[in-house]
Amino acid sequence: MSTETPDDEPLYANRSDWKDVEPLEQYEDINPLAPIFYTEEYKDATNYFRGIVKRGEKSPRVLDLTENIIRQNPAHYSAWQYRYETLLALLPSDNVASSPILEAEVRLMDELAVLFLKTYQVWHHRRLLVALTRKPKRELDFIRKGLEADAKNYHTWSYRQWLLGTFGGRGANVTDAEGGVEDVDEDLWIGELDFVDTMLAQDVRNNSAWHHRFFVVWGCGVREGDEDRERVLKRELTYVKQNISLAPSNPSAWNYLRGVLTHTRTPFSAVADFALPYAYPRGAYHVKDVVDLENPSPSDTAQLPCVQAMEFMADVWEREGGEEKTEQAVKMWTSLANEHDTIRKKYWEHRIREAHLALKGQKRAA
Amino acid sequence: MAPRPTPTDGFPTLTSRSQAETEEVLLKHLPEPGTKTEPVLQKNSHMQFLVRNLVQGFPARYISQDASQPWLMFWTVQAFSILQVALDEGNKQRIIDKVMAWQHPEGGFGGGPGQSAHLLPTYAAVCTLAIVGRPGPRGGWDQIDREKMYQFFMKLKQKDGSFLVAHHSEVDVRGIYCLLTVATILDLMTPELVEGTAAFIASCQTYEGGFASSSHPSYSLSGALLPSPAPRPPLGEAHGGYTFCALASWILLQSYIAQSKHKPTIDVKNLLRWLVQMQGTEAELGGFKGRTNKLVDGCYSWWCGGAFALLEALGVGGIQNAESDEVPIDSGTSDGVWDDVDGGLSISYLELRNWLTDALEGLYNRKALQEYILYAGQHPAGGLRDKPPKNADAYHTLYCLSGLSSAQHHVFPSTLRKHQVLESWKPSGKPGEETRKHIFSDLLSWTEEEGGSHIVGGAANRLNATHPLTNLTMTHTEAMAAHFYGQEVSTRARSSGSRNPKA
Repeated sequence: MSTETPDDEPLYANRSDWKDVEPLEQYEDINPLAPIFYTEEYKDATNYFRGIVKRGEKSPRVLDLTENIIRQNPAHYSAWQYRYETLLALLPSDNVASSPILEAEVRLMDELAVLFLKTYQVWHHRRLLVALTRKPKRELDFIRKGLEADAKNYHTWSYRQWLLGTFGGRGANVTDAEGGVEDVDEDLWIGELDFVDTMLAQDVRNNSAWHHRFFVVWGCGVREGDEDRERVLKRELTYVKQNISLAPSNPSAWNYLRGVLTHTRTPFSAVADFALPYAYPRGAYHVKDVVDLENPSPSDTAQLPCVQAMEFMADVWEREGGEEKTEQAVKMWTSLANEHDTIRKKYWEHRIREAHLALKGQKRAA
Repeated sequence: MAPRPTPTDGFPTLTSRSQAETEEVLLKHLPEPGTKTEPVLQKNSHMQFLVRNLVQGFPARYISQDASQPWLMFWTVQAFSILQVALDEGNKQRIIDKVMAWQHPEGGFGGGPGQSAHLLPTYAAVCTLAIVGRPGPRGGWDQIDREKMYQFFMKLKQKDGSFLVAHHSEVDVRGIYCLLTVATILDLMTPELVEGTAAFIASCQTYEGGFASSSHPSYSLSGALLPSPAPRPPLGEAHGGYTFCALASWILLQSYIAQSKHKPTIDVKNLLRWLVQMQGTEAELGGFKGRTNKLVDGCYSWWCGGAFALLEALGVGGIQNAESDEVPIDSGTSDGVWDDVDGGLSISYLELRNWLTDALEGLYNRKALQEYILYAGQHPAGGLRDKPPKNADAYHTLYCLSGLSSAQHHVFPSTLRKHQVLESWKPSGKPGEETRKHIFSDLLSWTEEEGGSHIVGGAANRLNATHPLTNLTMTHTEAMAAHFYGQEVSTRARSSGSRNPKA
């Protein structure tokens, strides 16, 4: 298979081995508005692609043609789709995973994914291939390298999650409704938490990595060694608090904290002691001389008050309910609305209104 | 006073560095303090940008969009509609002819002639026809092969209620939004088509409150369904584009959710929280971002900003959702419901009025969003953009304008209007009549509140309102839907939203 750039290749129109294909123009009897100014190479390749699709041909040269188009326009989903159908037609009926055609395809995809990191099709094609090769482990390494170039790439992260859930199982050995068992390789998950740690150590504000942590720890079943959920909860709370203390104004970390508490039905008030000093100006709270590992203090360079902590404390108080606590929450929201987070003034006022209505309901019920 | 930059806590990372750089650039686009002139929407230069794309065409770098030709067309003609510009009949016909060249012989539309059918271009093609098409020969509308389109949709359906965007392609909520919008307008909705889809959408909501592209398939590689409760975690983090699509899908499915036995649920409060958090601060000129800790981008003015109107259909925000027994809407006296509350919680009538005003103005900062688009979103040479110093493009031009329009106007699902449409329904005798009737009247219930517009920069910046679900104008949405449901659009009663009685 050719890996040269399209510029080095003669046009299909000039190639004797393509003489038997009739190229098809895109628009025949109309003069379209809003045309795209195609290059000669692109027009040539896509004309021949339409010709091939019309014939329904699925041969090795179709792989060459679709690769050519994909290199010029990686979002050409029809070329990808037809390429996949052609591959299926060319693959042997047994020992698919060790077929040289498939191996060559995987190698090519390693190259193209790096070139076209932001394209849906590049990543979806990998999924289709790994469903054939059933070799997910090398994919995890590949993804890690991909994320070095683009640490928040949406497709890359969701591909990783799909791999883990598909080949690593979803907690207990999942049998499907027809009694079949997937090839589950729980070992895929070994090192996944370390991987998240590495990503967050590089950038503690990387929300994709925080989301991945949630997927790994809470979203996709329970892994071996993590059956003690109390212990896992404690570990995660310690982890997220430590990270908040490094850089408090980090909505990703606070959202993770909220997510964990909500998921485990732990009251927000369980971490109120931790959050409180972050919600007020420096010095408003006496910082203990003893280092409290449970409740790490804001770093010396932290800019306080931190709006995420203020919001969190207001939620703590609102949930506790009662007049006094509601009033404390209202005070916090008022401070957010008028001073610390003025862009969301409407929302904080909405929260005040909701809390007052809830309080009224509590009183009526009492 | 200059806006406060986002805190870095003395702990810089890649994210905080690019955040700081962006804020620095954005702040340069604010007018000098003390400037009295209002920001101007450069309608003429945006028009010229659009006309250039339509008539002269797109430069070679748009080859990357060759599989999105229906989108290029939709972005362009819908931008005209929002700018209150209608095309002449000759150009309309040329566009219809081009769109019809994308229809696939086996149903649906592709990204160009000879390309495979795909849910995304199907939405863009049908919506383009809503704008430029008409019934009758060569009008486009009656040349849509609805039966084959329905079959195409059913072939893409997965066991967990989701849909592939095209054969052998990915599942994601953009495709589902596109499918449901088209099926709603073209009267293709059936219980079989959407069975399980609402539960799939619900499974895409993440712990942050927004929605992800999809969730883990609840079937194995061999295709068999996994027994519930196999975990169905979202794949990918909460994201503005997917959140809009998921929320709009959720609303388009309401008629079916109401009938279903095991009602799936979403966390609306957490969704609202996430949406308001997506609005950037004053240092980001109040633009929206698409994910936590990412940068603001003009297109999320629509995907996130536009989602607030959708929330009103779920009972969040807006005057219809103010609890009428709690809040004395029409009472002019101050001896209201709060007088029995003692202590610091007594609330004056004036405060109540303020709350009502807040509810009407929405739950995000509409003024700031308009300023972001006007100051930073407009490219000096015409067209709109992600953020400076980027170039304008067709996509950002439409979604900045749609977002600006939705920040200007208050469009809400009016119960009054819904009843009016229900009452004028002409029975068709087709199966599923009751549900179809509700789907149609829900779609047409969206109403622009008269006197509810707040236009930064004054009336000269006014844009047409768009339908919060379809992102077509109300007129285009209603005319096309009425055609396919065999109904007539009844004239609207002149009423303002604030006088709209609760059903």
